[in-house]
Amino acid sequence: MSRRSNGIVALLLLVSAVSLFAGGSKEKSETPTPGASAPAAPKAAPAPSAAPVVIQFWTWRPEDVAVYNKLIGIFQQQNPGIQVVQTAHKNTEYNTILSAALSGKSGPDVFQSRAYGGLESFAQSGYMEPLENWVPELKDFSEAARRGATSIKDGKIYGVPFASQTLFVYYNKKMYQKLGLSVPSTWDKFLANLEAMKKAGIQPLANGAKDGWTLEVMMGALAPNFYGANEFFNKVIKGETNFLDPKFVQAIDKLRDLIPYMPPMYMGVSYTDMQAAFINEQAGHFIGGSFEAGYFSSQNPDLQYDFFPGPSAKEGEPNYVSTYADGNFSMNAASTKKAEAAKLLRFFASKTTGEAFIKELKQVSQVPGIDPTANPFIAKVLSVQKHSTPYIFLVGFRYQQPTGSSLAQAALQGMFAGKLTAAEVCKQIQEGIATYYKPFQK
Amino acid sequence: MNTDLRYSPSHWGKNLVLLVFHLLMGVYVALIFYPLFNMVVSSLKTTREIFQNPFGFPRTFQWQNYWVVWVEKGFYRYFGNSLWVTAVSMAFVLLFGSMASYGLSRYSFRLSFLLYLLFLSGIMLPLKAAIIPLFILVKSLGLMDRHLSIILIFIAMGLPSTVFILSGFMKTVPKELEYAARIDGCSDLSIYSRIVMPVSVPALALVTIYNAVPIWNDFFFPLVFIQSDRLKTLPVGLSSFFGQYSTNWSLLFSGLSIAILPMLILYLLMSNYFIRGMTAGAVK
Amino acid sequence: MVLSKDLQKSLWITFFVLPGLVIVALFILLPLFLSLFNSLFSWNQLIRGEWVGFGNFRRIFFTSPYRERFFNALRNNGKWFLVTMLVQNILGLVFGYLLSRRIPGHGFFRRTFFIPVLFSIVAVGFLWGLYLKPNGLVNAFLKLVGLEEYSRAWLGEESIATFSIIAVNIWRWVGFPSLVFLAAIDAIPLDCLEAAYLDGARETQVFSRIVLPLIVPALTVITVLTLIGSLNVFEQIYTMTGLDGSPNYSTDTIGTLFYRTAFGSVDSGNPEIGIGSAIGVVIYLLTFLASAGFIAISRRREVEL
Repeated sequence: MSRRSNGIVALLLLVSAVSLFAGGSKEKSETPTPGASAPAAPKAAPAPSAAPVVIQFWTWRPEDVAVYNKLIGIFQQQNPGIQVVQTAHKNTEYNTILSAALSGKSGPDVFQSRAYGGLESFAQSGYMEPLENWVPELKDFSEAARRGATSIKDGKIYGVPFASQTLFVYYNKKMYQKLGLSVPSTWDKFLANLEAMKKAGIQPLANGAKDGWTLEVMMGALAPNFYGANEFFNKVIKGETNFLDPKFVQAIDKLRDLIPYMPPMYMGVSYTDMQAAFINEQAGHFIGGSFEAGYFSSQNPDLQYDFFPGPSAKEGEPNYVSTYADGNFSMNAASTKKAEAAKLLRFFASKTTGEAFIKELKQVSQVPGIDPTANPFIAKVLSVQKHSTPYIFLVGFRYQQPTGSSLAQAALQGMFAGKLTAAEVCKQIQEGIATYYKPFQK
Repeated sequence: MNTDLRYSPSHWGKNLVLLVFHLLMGVYVALIFYPLFNMVVSSLKTTREIFQNPFGFPRTFQWQNYWVVWVEKGFYRYFGNSLWVTAVSMAFVLLFGSMASYGLSRYSFRLSFLLYLLFLSGIMLPLKAAIIPLFILVKSLGLMDRHLSIILIFIAMGLPSTVFILSGFMKTVPKELEYAARIDGCSDLSIYSRIVMPVSVPALALVTIYNAVPIWNDFFFPLVFIQSDRLKTLPVGLSSFFGQYSTNWSLLFSGLSIAILPMLILYLLMSNYFIRGMTAGAVK
Repeated sequence: MVLSKDLQKSLWITFFVLPGLVIVALFILLPLFLSLFNSLFSWNQLIRGEWVGFGNFRRIFFTSPYRERFFNALRNNGKWFLVTMLVQNILGLVFGYLLSRRIPGHGFFRRTFFIPVLFSIVAVGFLWGLYLKPNGLVNAFLKLVGLEEYSRAWLGEESIATFSIIAVNIWRWVGFPSLVFLAAIDAIPLDCLEAAYLDGARETQVFSRIVLPLIVPALTVITVLTLIGSLNVFEQIYTMTGLDGSPNYSTDTIGTLFYRTAFGSVDSGNPEIGIGSAIGVVIYLLTFLASAGFIAISRRREVEL
C-alpha cells in the first residue's frame, strides 16, 4: 500500500509541477509584464525633447555620492536631454553585483571599473565597450594612466582613468617639531626617527598586521628602493628575473626592521585601528596611500600631517614611490544608449571632473593638464611621483588567481608573526605566481 | 500537576551544580546586554569618538544621528519596505513550511525521505553562490525591481530549515491524537490545522524568529534585485554607510539600533510561546 | 466521491508538500544546480569555455596551490564542527534542560538567550572585533584580574584566531539549541516524567534514561544544523578576519575559499568560476552526504527506541 501511494505521489507532484510551470510561461507569453524590461519603453517614444534619456551610473564609492551628484548636476545642465541616475554599491559586493547584472545582459550604462587585472575580467568577457573612438580625450592621458585602463589581451582602452594612488609614509608634523626630527631621506635616518619616538614614549608606527593588505601597502611604500624599482619591475614582468632574486628577498627582509616600532600585539591591529591611532595622534607614522588624506582631514581637521616617500638605502639615491591607477569609468557594451553614455564619459575626462577630484575628494585626478597648486597635498603627491614605479603586485600580478597580492599578503603575515623568513615569503610568492605566469615557467 | 516538575531545592550537590550553571547563565546574560548597550551608545557618538572612546558614554550625545538616518537617509521608507517584505515572506514560509512538514512527517510513504532531503539540500550552500542563474531567472520572470522577487527568494530561503525543524517536532506529536480526531470524522486538513498546528506552537515560534532575522537583515538580494529607491529595504540603506576606505560607523550604529527593534519585539512576543507546548501537550 | 484510499492519501500529500517544493525547486535548487554545472567547464574570465569534465576537481585535490588551500580550509571546518558540538550544543542541552525544570529566573533567561541572534552580523563582527583587539575589553579584563600574561591578539595570532571566532559564534548561537531543547523537553508527555519521579528516579537518571531518548529528533535537528553550519561558515570569518582567512590563511574555511575563488575580490583577483563552482560542488556533496547519513542513522535509532 505504501509503495503504491508512493508512486501516485510522485506522479501527482510531477503533473502539478509541470502544469504550474506551463501555466506560468503561457501567461507570460500572452501579456508582457509591465515594468519588466525597461529598454522596451523608448521604442514607443521617439520624441527626444519630451522625455530625457535616462543613463544608469554605478560606483563603489558610497562615501562620494554627494560629489558625484554635484558633477552630475553640472553635466545635466550642459546636456539637457540626458538624466543620470547614480547608484553607489557597497565596495566589497560591487564586483559580484556588476558581474551578475552584466552577465544577465542588463546593468548600468556607465560604471566605475577596477584597473589592471580587475578590468581584464569584464573587458575580456566582452561586457565593456572599447572607448578610443567614443572618447577622443583619452589620447591625452598619460601612458601610466592608460595602462590601468588597457586590456593586456587586445591592447584596447576600456575606461576613462579617474585617479592615481601613491604609497608613502605619513608623519605627524607636531611630533616631529616637538622632538626636533627632520624628514628622513635614508632608511637608517628613518629608523633613527622611529627610535627617537619610541624613547620619547610615543608609539612610532601606527601600522599593524591584522589586515594583510596593509602589509602589501607597507611593502609597496618601502621596498622599491631596495629591490631596484623600475629596473626590477621591468625584468620580472618579462621573466628575466623572478621573486627569488636576492635583491627582492633583501628588500622584504628590510621590512622586519620595523617590527620593534609597531604597536604592541601588532598582529591584532587592524586597518581601522591604524587609522584611529594616527588620526587621534597616538602614533607618529602611518605607512599608507594617498587615498587616506581625505579621511584623515575629515575626521580630525586639527591633525597636522605630511608625508615623505620611502627612504632610500644610501644618501643621494632617488626616493621611489609605488603608484597605480585606482580605477576607470567604463561603458556597458550592451548599453542601448551609447551616444549618451559617451557624453557622460567625455565629461568624466574633462577638467571639470578632474578639478572636482582634486578639490572635493582630495584624489589625484588622472585628467591631463590640471593645475594642482590649489591643493598643496596633491601638488606634493605629484612632485614625489617624479620617481615612481608601478605598485608591483597590483599592476603586474593581479590578472589571475592566486594573485601576487594575495600570496604576498598571507606570506607577509607569516613573516611578521615570526613564522616565515623573507626567503620563504619570496618562495611562496614565486611558486604561487609560477603556476600560471608563462614567463616564469621557462 | 505541573508542580511535580518544578525544580525543588533538595540535595546540596544538586544545589551546587545549579549554582554554577546559574552563574554561567548570569555571565552570559551580561555578555548579551553589554554589546546591545554598546551598540546603542555608539550610535550617539561621532565616528571618531567610537574609536577614541569605544566603551564609555559619549561626551556629547549625537541625537541628530537618528534624525539624519530616519529622515535624510530615507530610513522611514526602507523600514516600511522591510516590514512588508519580511512579514509577507514569513507568512508564506510558515504556511508552506508547516504544510510541507505535516505532509512529510505525518504520512508514511517511501518518497518522503527523498523529498525531505530535497528540501534540506536547499540550505547546503548559500544561495549567493547561484546569483547569476538566479538573476537570469528573476529577469525572465519579469520580477526585476519588484518586491515579489526578493519575497519569493526569501520564502525559498526560509523553507528548508523550517521544514527540517518543524517536521522533527511534528513527528513527536502522539499519533493517538490524530486517530481520535479521525474517528470523530476530521479531514486531513482539519487534523493539520486543529490538532498538529496548535501543538507545534513552540516550534513555530522558534522557526519564526530563526528565519525572520536573516530575512530582515539580508542586504545582498535586495541590493541585486531592487533598483528604485522607493522599494529599497533597510539593510540596503545600511550598506550605504560602508565606504571603500572609511565607514560611517556613527550613522551605521544608529541604523543598526533602529533595525534591531522590530526583531527584538518579535522575539519577546514569540518567547512567550516557547513554553506553551507543555500545557498544550497536557491538554489531552 | 469514491476515491480509493491510496489516491486520497496521495492527493493530500501532494496538497501539503507541493507549494513549498515548487518554490524551493525553482528559486534554490534550479539556480544552484545550474551554477554548480559550471564546474565542468573551463572559464575565460566570465565567459564559459570548453567542457573539461572533472579537470577543475582534479586541480582542487591534486594541484598546488589549490590543494594546500582546500585541505587547510577543510581542517578549519572540522575545528568548527567539533568545538561547536562539544561546547555550544552541550551547553545548549544543559541550559535547555535547566529552563525546562523551571529553575529560578527561567522566564527571564528564556527571554534573553536568543537576543544575540537578533544582532546583524555586521554589528557582531564590529563589536567583538573591538572587544578582542589588543587594547580591547577582553585584554583589559584580564589585566584587571591580574592575568595580564594571558593577553593576546585574539584575532591576529594564527594559533588562536579560529577559536576566537568560534567563541563569538557560540556566544551568538548558544540560545538556539537551548530553546530547541527546551521546547523538545517541554513536549515530552507529562505522565512519562511523573512516573519516573514517583518511582524515585534520580535527576541524572531521569535525564539520561527518559529525557534524552525522547528528544532524539531535536538532537538530530541540532546536530545536522551544526554540521551544515560548520561546513558553510562564511559570514563570521568575513566580518572578523576577512575574505582571505587571515592571518596567513589560519582562519580560512571552504566557505571563504569558495567565495573568493568563485567571485574574486579586489585583492585576491578575478573570479575563477570553474574552480570556484567545483569547490561549491564539493561543499554541497560533503554536506549532503554527511547530513543524509546522520539523519538515516538517527531515524533507525528512533525506530528502535
